Amino acid sequence: MKKIKEIVNKNSFATTVYPILFGVLIVVLWQTQILHKILGADTFTLPMPSRIFDIILANTDSIWTNVVATLIVAIGGLIVGSALGFMLGVLATFAPKWGAGGLTVIAAFNAIPIIAIAPIANNLTKDLSDNPEIRSMIAKMIVVTLTCMVPMSINVNRGMTELKPFSLDLMKSYAAENRTVFFKLRLPNSVPYIFTALRVSVPVCVISALVSEYFAEFIIGVGRQIRENIVLAQYATAWAYITVACAIGIILYIILLIAEGITLKGRK
Amino acid sequence: MNIAAGTKLEPEIIIDDLTVVFPSNNGGDPIKALKNINLEIGQGEFISLVGPSGCGKTTLLRTIADLQNPTTGSISIRGLTPKQIRMEKKFGIVFQSPVLYDWRTVRRNVCMPMEIKGLPKKHRTARVTEMLEMVGLYKFGKQYPHELSGGMQQRVGIARALAIDPEILLMDEPFSALDEFTKEKLHEDLLNIWRQTKKTIVFVTHNIQEAVFLSDRVVVLSPHPGRVSAVIDVNIPRPRALSIKRSAEFNALVAEVRSSFEGV
Repeated sequence: MKKIKEIVNKNSFATTVYPILFGVLIVVLWQTQILHKILGADTFTLPMPSRIFDIILANTDSIWTNVVATLIVAIGGLIVGSALGFMLGVLATFAPKWGAGGLTVIAAFNAIPIIAIAPIANNLTKDLSDNPEIRSMIAKMIVVTLTCMVPMSINVNRGMTELKPFSLDLMKSYAAENRTVFFKLRLPNSVPYIFTALRVSVPVCVISALVSEYFAEFIIGVGRQIRENIVLAQYATAWAYITVACAIGIILYIILLIAEGITLKGRK
Repeated sequence: MNIAAGTKLEPEIIIDDLTVVFPSNNGGDPIKALKNINLEIGQGEFISLVGPSGCGKTTLLRTIADLQNPTTGSISIRGLTPKQIRMEKKFGIVFQSPVLYDWRTVRRNVCMPMEIKGLPKKHRTARVTEMLEMVGLYKFGKQYPHELSGGMQQRVGIARALAIDPEILLMDEPFSALDEFTKEKLHEDLLNIWRQTKKTIVFVTHNIQEAVFLSDRVVVLSPHPGRVSAVIDVNIPRPRALSIKRSAEFNALVAEVRSSFEGV
């Protein structure tokens, strides 16, 4: 606990206090309806924070069900995508001839919008299961996997190859085998790069999970509830889910930062 | 040429007519880094390779270490090839930069070569302590490299190089990035370590004073192509104190090395 405190305390002013103050300011402007005047909005399309909060409290059960569905897709896709990306990054390291070109092709995946991948993923998975909930979940996970794979593969490849001068010579001078070079040099050297990738892919896994839910066959998830409620003009409920979606993204990112702080402790 | 004279000691490294040629990158003539080098290095000798940039001193060191292949000629170390010595993990190398792994503490950096060698843990722990005491960094074992000064980092590098008790210590301009005071302190430390461990040390530098102060012999290399232009015996008695740098004898030797530079 003390460790976590230390990590949070470091640079806390710039990274924690200012954003929180800014957030509080927005909420105050919002609740006092100054924000509505600035934006020319009414309290129907932009409900007050207190009302949004009331809706969240009144619907905890159904919100939780949707949060779990979104988290399974986001984190499942993040894990599978990162693992695949890691393997591709390693592969590109040991086959540099194909690796550089291969990673460029993979990077091109990132340019494909999620809304274009989602229907393809639905089509791909339509025969996988009789249960629409399961095949829908797999389709959504494929979308998240594809978006999370790219940053991991590129960063791992860099981590494996961007070594300090002479560090390979040092290994060679001890007649270290390739396996040893991988586990004692390349892999630990990649760890900060893995976190760089995760800083990109953790927020992205939440966003792509939310967006892929829009197009899924089975109606569940925080993203899908935002859409359904907007369609029904239930803006207050939609905003409740938007708030929850933000919270998911922020909490996952904080968990990542804490994990990074602990793992990279001692490094420059 | 008689410059390539042998050593008075039992020869440990015999460099026989060594030539190293690098293919040119841009289609020009290949670069002769080293041409017909003949040199014997004695067991337990402290020998320096000095010369201007491009004289091939680092290439010579790397060829001894089997990090570079000879084009023609050969190097024999105790009757074996450099590769055999490398596979037996008998080299300790200190590079221009400390090359410490920043994810490992000082202790675990020193331990690394012993892990590769597969030495038992009990032995490793004891040896790390011994090595860190020798370089005066025992108290810093749990620190991470970036928490140490440049001079301390390079001392960790020396401790790491000696951890597996190599037969030959190869040092490639190890102190060139350090300030003068740190450098002098490390010179004294290195000579103490050398006296304790009796290793053969091949030391590459472009600093003439450093070479004369440390070495039994100074080998002067000249560039384009890299070749031995002089071998100068340094018969200043040991142990050497920093004060000898003011002696006439020391300065005469420095002048002699310098003049063989200029003669190039």
